[in-house]
Amino acid sequence: MSTLKRLKRREEIIEGALKLFSKGGFYQTTIPDIARTIGMSVGNFYNYFTSKEVLAKELLLYISEYLGERIRTINESDATTQEKIRAIVAMYFEMVQSRPEMIEYFLRIFLSNREVFGEGCEGTVCVSAFITEMMLFFDDGVSCGDLREQDFFSAFGLFMGYLGGMAFLCGEKVLPHALDSYVDSITQNIYRALKT
Amino acid sequence: MHSKPKALWLQGLTCNGNSHSFLNHPQLGILMERFELLYHPHLPCTLSLEAVVTCMHECDLLLFEGAFEPTMRRAGVALERLLEHYGACAAQIVAVGSCASFGGVFGSSGGLDAQSQAWSEKIINLSGCPIHPEWLALILSGFAEGSAFALDAQRRPKALYAHLVHHGCTRNEYFEWKVDAKGFGVNEGCLYYDQGCRGVLSHGSCNRILWGGVSSKTRSGQPCFGCTESDFPRRDLFKTRKNMSIPHEVPLGVSKRAYLTLAGIAKTFTIERLSKDLMDD
Amino acid sequence: MIERRLIERIEGEAELEFEECEGRVAYATIRFEHMRGMERLLLGREGRDALVLTPRVCGICGHAHLMACVLALEDAYANAGHALTLSPKAQALREATLSLEMIQNHIKWWYLVMSEELYALRGFTPPKESALRGAYGAQIINRAISALAGQWPHNSYMIPGGVTCDPGALELLQAQTALFEATRFVQETLLGMELERFLSALTCKEITGIQSDAGRVEAMLLELGMQEKGRAYDRFAVLGSHGFAAPARLRGTKTYKIDPAQVHTEAAITLRGESMARNALYRGTSYETGPLARALQRGDPLIKNMHRRFRDSTYTRIFARLYECALLLERTAALLRGVVLGEASWIEPPPIERISAEGVGIVEAPRGPLIHRVRLERGIIAAYEIITPTQWNLASAPRERPGPAQKAMEGLHVSEAAFVFRSFDVCSVCTTH
Ligand code: SF4
Repeated sequence: MSTLKRLKRREEIIEGALKLFSKGGFYQTTIPDIARTIGMSVGNFYNYFTSKEVLAKELLLYISEYLGERIRTINESDATTQEKIRAIVAMYFEMVQSRPEMIEYFLRIFLSNREVFGEGCEGTVCVSAFITEMMLFFDDGVSCGDLREQDFFSAFGLFMGYLGGMAFLCGEKVLPHALDSYVDSITQNIYRALKT
Repeated sequence: MHSKPKALWLQGLTCNGNSHSFLNHPQLGILMERFELLYHPHLPCTLSLEAVVTCMHECDLLLFEGAFEPTMRRAGVALERLLEHYGACAAQIVAVGSCASFGGVFGSSGGLDAQSQAWSEKIINLSGCPIHPEWLALILSGFAEGSAFALDAQRRPKALYAHLVHHGCTRNEYFEWKVDAKGFGVNEGCLYYDQGCRGVLSHGSCNRILWGGVSSKTRSGQPCFGCTESDFPRRDLFKTRKNMSIPHEVPLGVSKRAYLTLAGIAKTFTIERLSKDLMDD
Repeated sequence: MIERRLIERIEGEAELEFEECEGRVAYATIRFEHMRGMERLLLGREGRDALVLTPRVCGICGHAHLMACVLALEDAYANAGHALTLSPKAQALREATLSLEMIQNHIKWWYLVMSEELYALRGFTPPKESALRGAYGAQIINRAISALAGQWPHNSYMIPGGVTCDPGALELLQAQTALFEATRFVQETLLGMELERFLSALTCKEITGIQSDAGRVEAMLLELGMQEKGRAYDRFAVLGSHGFAAPARLRGTKTYKIDPAQVHTEAAITLRGESMARNALYRGTSYETGPLARALQRGDPLIKNMHRRFRDSTYTRIFARLYECALLLERTAALLRGVVLGEASWIEPPPIERISAEGVGIVEAPRGPLIHRVRLERGIIAAYEIITPTQWNLASAPRERPGPAQKAMEGLHVSEAAFVFRSFDVCSVCTTH
């Protein structure tokens, strides 16, 4: 099989598994379930991922890189800090809607089944692409004098916790308005909280 | 027998630190035998300063220490005039130390090469506050041998300044694994993250050619202050500038993205050996 | 008629101006031309930056500046209600490296300045290797400093709370071995006798006529009558507190109390032209500082004996430097032997940003007391003042009350006067800083 084809197949597994995991949970979803959804034999599945745990980690890397890449584009634009915050918020909310499984996976599987992500995924290793871009965003913001100097995690927690919370409320269908109608006010709030 | 090349050591605005550092060369006598020393502020030499300033003599090698200050006079003669004369006759001019190379602590008008187009091709910048005696010895021997040195963009010999001060530091492994020194006065940990070390940002051979043959700033727990670079002395020399815990400057030539990626991963692991006191079991 | 004489081959450059009367100096003034404005460079910087910048006042006694600076910062901490305690190890290391710098200074001064000039004054060419001997001795000592403080010149290893280094057995041994080698050099080449014998000598007789560099210098000094020349006021000041010195004012060998707050400066006066220097005074009176002051304060038997016979002559002044060199070699070896390696090097002080206070740091530098005064506002330097030892000795004051070196030159022939001037160990870079 050509490498290209193989990569494509791999991506199919990832996409399929993401959906199943975020719907059915990590423990309830089995490898045969996944294989079945994408029309593949269980034996062949093992050619791609040697265990469910390995797959789980790969999914995390995949999401982190997906997010990281998008933030990177924002970081590399010449937008102001406030514009960048807005772009990140908008991008995230857009993802909540178009790729809910990714956000769900991150919020429900990664954060509540930490034991699965033990070895090889310590600390922030598996989400490094995403964290690195957020670091670069904050670094730029402080460097140019827009954002206040403080501990990274206090700022990161404020930013991502806020977005995660909104995604959760949206998922629970608690929000009275469409998610993207909150983009401006949330951007304002985050910027005010972090600015110098 | 060929006559020996004539060397002249001239000073601008200076603390004499380079002259004294040079005196620390263990083979000073052998080194200087190859030259006729016309003038040096401390070593025996053939001319008095009063004779030097008459500008009736010529030198082959001009060693200039200190900041060039246009209004300054030596023994009553304008420094500008002395430089003009000796700079013109010398085959090579060595800016000894950071004041001469870039302005340094005392200079307000840049380095020696900013003073005249005519000499700039002859200048070798030996930056450092002060220079290490071996660095100057290398240039002196090279001059006596007639060998040329490849120079970097700031006219510093690559043989000395292609390296970073970080190269050879005993704390390298701590840098790699992001184990930061817990404060001053310890041999464990790297001084980059909190103590202001500029070893990864400064060109120099301080940790390759040890001071007094035995030590260096970082080996003795001091951060590298970046004294070989043109922006020395920077501000806040004992702390690392950070933006939300992220170092404002990362190792030379490494993108911040690359640095943060590796650092993030390295930080995740706790290496027991590196988190212990070296002298503990 | 005013005669000028350029004094070079010192730390920087100075000019003497003489008013003569029948071929002898009636009044001499001292002019220093170059000034760098160190105090100004420090304003607005974080306090600890001064630990990097102030050593750059002087290439030969920068370490003394470092120590005065760190003491000034620590005093500011104390005045802000955060007195810092240092480990005995940190204290011993500081004192050791300060002493080592002083030793190398004295060796260099002896070989590269004083003895070269003395030979010239006698009309001889100095032995070719004499200057190199001085460089050799100093280089070994500087290796010892490097083993502990990283490098010399211009390290910044003393910081509020202690020292940055944490020497192990190896580094300590490197320092001790260097010190041992330097001691052997001083014994064999410079003194021509064991340190102990030299240090326990009670009279000049015990050290006269020895085949050594010191012996040769002594003979030349006597031939030139230097035991009768170069006397100043026989009035001395010591301000630093160390194992080798304690604060005191002295008239001859009688000691009095001294209050560092009473030290002040005034503009130097010259016959012609302008000097960038300022004179240091104690309540309007000038005092000699340096090795002779310290030797009399300590009561070194040999120097006291010389002083009794020759008072504060150039001869006594020169031997006080040599004596101090030997004494410090012995004491520094003892200091290093006493270092307990396991002790803390640095005890973390509160962040300097919290400190708004004034502080004074005083040390004995090779040439005498060195004072740094700082005012911090939230850790930022709002004011900085440096008063150096040479500002005492080389004060250039009006003829009614000449400074020590001025006084010492009076009545001498011009060429001798220049030599006597150098016996104060001239440092122009410190004088003007
Ligand atoms: S202390 Fe400085 S020179 Fe040493 S490893 Fe760390 S960054 Fe490099």
